[in-house]
Amino acid sequence: MKIISVENVVKCFPVGDGKFTALDHISLDFFTGEFAGLVGPSGSGKTTLLNIIGSLDKPSKGKAQVAGKDIEALTHKQAAQLRNHSIGFIFQVFNLLPVYTVFENVEFALLLQKKPWHERKKAVMDALEWVGLENMADKKISKLSGGESQRVAIARAMVKRPRIMLADEPSANLDAKNTHSIMETMKTLNQEFKTTFLFSTHDEKVMQYLDRIIHLEDGKVVKDEIITSRKEDF
Amino acid sequence: MIHFLLKGLLRDKNRSLFPIIIVSIGVALTVFLSGYIKGVMGDMIDTTAKFDTGHVKVMTRAYAKNIDQMPNDLALMGVEKLTKELARKYPEVTWVKRIKFTGLLDVPDDKGETIRQGPAMGLAIGLFSGSGREVARMNIKNSIKAGKIPENPGEALIGIELAQKLKLKPKDIVTYLGSTMNGSMAFMNFIVTGFVRFGSQSLDKGAIIIDIFDAQEMLDMPDACGEILGFFENNVYFDSKAQILASAFNTEYFDESEEFSPVMVRLKDQANLAYYMDYVDLYTMIFVGIFVIAMSVVLWNTGLLGGLRRYQEFGIRLALGESKDMIFRSLIIEALLIGTTGSVLGTIIGLIATWILQVHGIDISSMTANSTIMVPSIIRSKVTPDLFYIGFIPGLFAMVLGNLLAGIGIFKRQTAQLFKELEI
Repeated sequence: MKIISVENVVKCFPVGDGKFTALDHISLDFFTGEFAGLVGPSGSGKTTLLNIIGSLDKPSKGKAQVAGKDIEALTHKQAAQLRNHSIGFIFQVFNLLPVYTVFENVEFALLLQKKPWHERKKAVMDALEWVGLENMADKKISKLSGGESQRVAIARAMVKRPRIMLADEPSANLDAKNTHSIMETMKTLNQEFKTTFLFSTHDEKVMQYLDRIIHLEDGKVVKDEIITSRKEDF
Repeated sequence: MIHFLLKGLLRDKNRSLFPIIIVSIGVALTVFLSGYIKGVMGDMIDTTAKFDTGHVKVMTRAYAKNIDQMPNDLALMGVEKLTKELARKYPEVTWVKRIKFTGLLDVPDDKGETIRQGPAMGLAIGLFSGSGREVARMNIKNSIKAGKIPENPGEALIGIELAQKLKLKPKDIVTYLGSTMNGSMAFMNFIVTGFVRFGSQSLDKGAIIIDIFDAQEMLDMPDACGEILGFFENNVYFDSKAQILASAFNTEYFDESEEFSPVMVRLKDQANLAYYMDYVDLYTMIFVGIFVIAMSVVLWNTGLLGGLRRYQEFGIRLALGESKDMIFRSLIIEALLIGTTGSVLGTIIGLIATWILQVHGIDISSMTANSTIMVPSIIRSKVTPDLFYIGFIPGLFAMVLGNLLAGIGIFKRQTAQLFKELEI
């Protein structure tokens, strides 16, 4: 089932008197349960495309449909709702809220959905269990290692059971061991919940896990490869 | 959600404790400075009122026209009756008789020959014949630097510098030479019981203070006096009250055809005080205004920086699906909470400090020893009703405004641009 559809998307940014074309007529489709990645050098348009799919930005031209919603037609409130219910984000610097505990960080997304306490508690503990941090619920964020912090970020993104997970350079601040560990966790969640994962990366270690790699260069798709053999490994 | 945000607010001291401390300090300073300026400016007027003008003053029309000459020949007659009438009609006001006079003070030797002489400005008040309120009002007991307060007729206090000039000692005898109400020569001997320093050169260099009965006898002014002064309760001047009182009195007593008819003037109408008081009001407003604006800028900046410092947190919240207006609203609610808490604390601290300075004061008599104007020797602040709310302008308004501006930044930017700026 098609969950993300990008058709002829162009994104331009004003630069001085002219403009910079970050995305140049991009068309891509993603299906439920895909584990895909956008790969390319800096300035190739990875993050811009991820922002449009994540309803943080709108295309200058073309059409982007995410979880059945036309991104260009959404108001900022509707875009926030789409992010709240259907999209999870994972960032390279974890971006956890330092004054809250592990539990509270994960709970935050559910508070926005106005879920009752007993539902929140169960969902948060389940999410922490998926990432192997069920015993660290009451820990302060400052006491966590980099790998643990990224696991909390994954749990926070997954706790609301989004249909799409967007991960922007998730391994940028992790060593090789932790990168493999979180990638395996995400792969497991992808298979268990059929969540579509879309990465932006240039880390070879991350690429090893992807089923589909889309190569971007100067805002254009230069290669879209499906790695079927790897699918069978997992 | 509110509980969750409050929890974060309380745990993050950079968002709660420190802003509250900054707001409290700013508000406390605003309240204290405002009370201090009002107290100091008000004290100068109070001193003038106590020694010279009263809050209202009753004189004859003719005396009022020539008041600078202290024309006792134009004084009020029948003052016992008039004072009783005033006390009956306006019981909320304390009425006192005063006589001002000028003349020469002569210091004789054992044989009565003049050894020293000097001009003197006399002030006759209810020194021992009154209820003692005049002594308290003018703070005479504390102003006596040598000797004691007169207790009997024929005794006088002398300004300390005049006493030094005439080389007087307590218990010396001086002779007053002047003119009576009717223009005859007036002589009277006084035993000098003490020397006073009010911190005002005009009084310290030339004053002789005697009891009103002695003055009436000496100046041939039975049942007469130059001025009847009225003081409001607690010695606090209210111009609107004085205006109403003077209008009522003048409507009843003023007689266009009779130059000796009594007339009441308020403090503001005397000795160019209207100009001075308007000037004081204006400058008080300017001083307090500048300080309030300065504190507002500081606290606005605090609010702004506090908001900007949290851009990363807002970015995370945006990504998690919180809308811009929800974030904006929570930012303003936090600013309101912090601003209100800081303003209340700061106002309490500022009021306590103002009250302490109002009660205890700072003695500056050594600094005003050579002053030529009538200034108080003790600086006091004053707790006024506006101090209860003035601190909320910088404390609450500026804090919320700062956060509001920081928050507008969130609204004005495209979400993706903001996200980029948030360095997520």
